[in-house]
Amino acid sequence: MKTASELNFGEKAIISDIDNSHPSFRRILEIGFTPGQEIELINSSAFNDPLAFSLRGTLIAIRRHEADCIILS
Amino acid sequence: MNDSLVEKAQLITLVGPPNSGKTTLFNLLSGKNFKTVNYPGSTVEYSTCKIQAKFGLTADILDSPGIISLNPNSPDELVSINSLYHHPQFGSPHLVIATVDVSQLSRHLLLSKQLIESGFEVIVALTMNDILLKRGYKVDENKLSEALGCTVVSINGRTGAGVEKLLSCVRNKIEFENSDQIKTPKKVFDNISKEKLLNIYKEIEEIENQVIQSIADEGTTNINSANQQLKILNPTLKYGSNRPDALTLKIDKYLLSRRWGLVFFFLIMAFIFTSIFWIADPFMGLVDELFGSLSALTSSYFGATWYGDLISDGIINGTGSVLIFLPQILILFLILGLLEDTGYLARGAMLIDKPLSKIGLNGKSFVPMLSGFACSIPAMLAARTISNRRERLLTIFIIPLMSCSARLPVYALLLGFLTPSDKLWLAGLGLAVIYIGSIIGSLVVAAVINKFNKSIIKAEDNSSFILELPAYRLPKAKVVLRNSFENVKQYIYKAGPIILGLSIAIWFLTYFPNHSPQINTNGLSKNEAVQLIKSERLSTSYAADLGKLVQPIMSPIGMDWRVGVSLIAAFAAREVFVSSLAMIFRVTDDEDDNIQSSILYAMHNAKNEETGKPLFTVSTIIGLIVFFIFAMQCLSTVAVSKKETGGWRIPILQIIIFTSTAYILTIITVNLLKLAGFS
Repeated sequence: MKTASELNFGEKAIISDIDNSHPSFRRILEIGFTPGQEIELINSSAFNDPLAFSLRGTLIAIRRHEADCIILS
Repeated sequence: MNDSLVEKAQLITLVGPPNSGKTTLFNLLSGKNFKTVNYPGSTVEYSTCKIQAKFGLTADILDSPGIISLNPNSPDELVSINSLYHHPQFGSPHLVIATVDVSQLSRHLLLSKQLIESGFEVIVALTMNDILLKRGYKVDENKLSEALGCTVVSINGRTGAGVEKLLSCVRNKIEFENSDQIKTPKKVFDNISKEKLLNIYKEIEEIENQVIQSIADEGTTNINSANQQLKILNPTLKYGSNRPDALTLKIDKYLLSRRWGLVFFFLIMAFIFTSIFWIADPFMGLVDELFGSLSALTSSYFGATWYGDLISDGIINGTGSVLIFLPQILILFLILGLLEDTGYLARGAMLIDKPLSKIGLNGKSFVPMLSGFACSIPAMLAARTISNRRERLLTIFIIPLMSCSARLPVYALLLGFLTPSDKLWLAGLGLAVIYIGSIIGSLVVAAVINKFNKSIIKAEDNSSFILELPAYRLPKAKVVLRNSFENVKQYIYKAGPIILGLSIAIWFLTYFPNHSPQINTNGLSKNEAVQLIKSERLSTSYAADLGKLVQPIMSPIGMDWRVGVSLIAAFAAREVFVSSLAMIFRVTDDEDDNIQSSILYAMHNAKNEETGKPLFTVSTIIGLIVFFIFAMQCLSTVAVSKKETGGWRIPILQIIIFTSTAYILTIITVNLLKLAGFS
């Protein structure tokens, strides 16, 4: 099971599910990370965390452990 | 129009996600006549106004803080959402205008859908149509209106096009409906379930497919049918490119580069701080000259009378020595506003989230900490955007250690004493050392406090960092300028009366009871006589009585009671230290027409009344600087800290921990320097 935190830079993937046991899952959904959406890992900070994803035509930065609750297909 | 409408203006609330053009619309509707109000009992700020007269419609407009969902995720959002339903001062809205950026349609419709489902009377205002148009698409307003079940109007924030149409829809809604029949919306989205959220998104995506039209084949096919054929190949392909703004991605290649990102970050920060000093310097000189000559003028006009003294010393010099650093505050607010408007601040937060999280802070602590260099008060309010309670409290805890602009006049004076006036760069270097020192100091304190989290902060919470990085754009100079001036004006209104009051109080304490001492001035020149009268008056004043009480605390740091009185005054507001020194050492009547240099002159001549040695030396001045870096001094900061943390515990801990640290470090510094051979 691959999650969004395991993407390489420039790699695209489709979200298959959001892990709703994660404490931030609701905000992750509300900001637009929903199943069926395509995301791409664009940037990260110099410390490799947080990660910036392209999603629904915009850029969203989330922490690596939050990216872990985004399950890819 | 019936009478009840004239009596009670109807309330229209603007709601929308951050960066959806909500504030631009508010500015269009209000013109310039808006005011900012606090939510009672908290500090979430709202702007309200009447709709501009030229639109011919009587209604109050309330601009609410940006939210992305009706399900609150932070204390800030909880207040915003609750007051959307019922604002304690303005009541429930008759109508809600929800702004939606059409280039972000699917994400922004979430809030509009929730508003409609909760039972608000909603008009959706579509913004940024020009961006979508550039991509070759447009939104079918009628279809969207049908799908949502509410009125939809396109507006252009820059040109104001569509605002008339929006207002005629508003007019229809509020004038032909009885004001008693306000809908009472229900809170149905607290802790919304995953399934429900996904269902809303599913509906939104269906709506999106129906309403987005390609301009090329306008009227014949809509994008939906085009997608149908492609769906097998790529199920997520929708209108246009799903990529973010191309220019933004290009800029981010550098600004968010893993190798250069931090370099750019530090260069930008360095630019901010150097410009605060270098750009502001000539303006500060101007303010200084102005008040200096004003004081000299009144002093010579009224002569050596008590009221002449009150006006020139107490009022003009007292306020002047503080207003001198307004240029710096203005420049800091300007640069912060510009950076925020370009979209860089969010990236700065992302870049340093990791190191900050190591010491218990959050990337979102970055903006509050940066604002702390202007003033702790707005900085503590800015910490509301941090949804994690522990991180928010810790951020508030260390904000007073950020070198706020009120410390600047103090540092400027003390560094001016240490460095020759022809070597300005040396003072600049000294300031850089002070700033870096205070940043390192605050991070060390944060790390230590974080270790003792259980006994000091007493909060544990899920730590999270989710932040939209908006597309880069040119800042709107007009808006940034207006906001900066507004901030400075607020600052003067809040701090001004305190500073003026304290200046007069200190003048009173140093002037009475023995205001015209009887001493023998035979054989003395007029100037010498004046100086003798002054020092006699001061040493028998109320301030001297007060100062002698604190003398035991001042001796270990090599100071006497006069500095003690100034330090007491500085607990009300740090910058008062300078005006208080100016008054205690009575510096006006000299030939000098410049306040700063006459205080310095008086300081060089001052003798410690206990030991008879020079009062201000290299070691005592550096000691004072160390004290100001750490001490918790500003009364308004204490008040805001109490309000923002919900109790006295944290502000009291701040006072105890910071001030005792400051005092102990000052003793150590002064004595080490003396041991090392500095006077």
